[in-house]
Amino acid sequence: MSLKRELPTSTISGFALSGILVLTILNILLHNIPHPVTTAGDKLLKLNASEGVANAVTTVVVYFRGFDTLGEIAVLFIASLGIGLMLHSNTQCEIKTDSNFMLKTASKILFPIIILFGIYVMIYGHLSPGGGFQGGVIIASGVLLLLISDRSFEVPHAMIVALETFAGVSYVLIGLIGLLVLDKFLGNFLSPDISDMGLLFSGGIIPIIYIIVGIKVGSEMSLIVQNLIKRDENV
Amino acid sequence: MFEFLNQPEVIKIIVTVCSMALFFIGLFGLLTQKHLIKIFISIAIMEVSLFLLFIGLTFKKDFIAPILTNGQTTFSNMNDPVPHAMILTAIVIGMAVLALGVSFAIEYYKLTGRTNIDEMTEMRH
Amino acid sequence: MIGLIILVSFIGIVIIAFASIIQKKLADSIILFMGVGLGSVILFFVFKAPDVALTEAVIGAGISSLTFLMALKHLGVKG
Repeated sequence: MSLKRELPTSTISGFALSGILVLTILNILLHNIPHPVTTAGDKLLKLNASEGVANAVTTVVVYFRGFDTLGEIAVLFIASLGIGLMLHSNTQCEIKTDSNFMLKTASKILFPIIILFGIYVMIYGHLSPGGGFQGGVIIASGVLLLLISDRSFEVPHAMIVALETFAGVSYVLIGLIGLLVLDKFLGNFLSPDISDMGLLFSGGIIPIIYIIVGIKVGSEMSLIVQNLIKRDENV
Repeated sequence: MFEFLNQPEVIKIIVTVCSMALFFIGLFGLLTQKHLIKIFISIAIMEVSLFLLFIGLTFKKDFIAPILTNGQTTFSNMNDPVPHAMILTAIVIGMAVLALGVSFAIEYYKLTGRTNIDEMTEMRH
Repeated sequence: MIGLIILVSFIGIVIIAFASIIQKKLADSIILFMGVGLGSVILFFVFKAPDVALTEAVIGAGISSLTFLMALKHLGVKG
């Protein structure tokens, strides 16, 4: 049975916009509730001092909530799988005009500098703002620069897939080693020294896990970017 | 002259009202636009409004960022690190799912040549 | 001072987002959406959250804008 008439979308949007008035008044009224005195974040900040890591957000993402990061990596993997299934084709499309010789040379000079910056942001993630996600996406944007400036560049498929598999498997293996040694999945079995706070080699397994996350995110983003740009026009 | 804007209650009111205005602008775009890609842009605007609301509500004016720098040696007087960690993963996941949705839209266009949602009538009777 | 910056940035983001939705061409809409991402990076920096600002800057300016621009290219929309 088919709909006899369509939904009046302008009426619905009128209701939606008039909802602003009601909800803002409710929110202003609700702000008279007093704050709780201590939240979960305060307790985690106190616990953070025993891990020896200077960046509190890194410990929360990798150590105190490490299982959520494992789930998020699974979601990224499934999204990359879906994009690869929909858009991949064996005959790549040709960009119609070839670029200038100066553009190709300049982008080949910029590419290692961008990769070096991405690796720096990844490795110093526990001492300054940054980490695995940010560094991985910076590496993928370096690959993007080469893809759009040179029409004969292809990402080496076998190496990227091998890197991604290695990173995904070793994350779970580190968690299982923590389960064997300390009776805690993703436990910190390298026993960090508190007096090392601020040095590069500190924090136990936290920088190691973040580097593994960075490798996985970087390789997945490179594959997504390549599937989006190069696609057969005639299929 | 604008000293009354620095009180914590006024900052909370500004954050709440403007984030929800942004959310309802995104909702308006979702309901009334006809092009498929504009619907995805409206969904992305709705996600940005929620990130701003989440971090703006836990912001304390005189505290610092949750990182030890500049001679600070103890973890005190810092903002809350738990909302920062949650929004970090939410941004990455939102972008990945958006890319998947856009790839579906591209494939549908290659198959039938339509981007107006009023003309997608394959599922009717 | 902080309250004034927050108010001006929020009003700017709301105006740019509304202008992005009611445009007629798709290319203008995508460019104004990148402006929303830039405004949100400024706001995250004022809220003293450097990790979130770095993530939104890299993803909003790189991957999210690239996705929409490639959709524009593959859909064959002129203008």
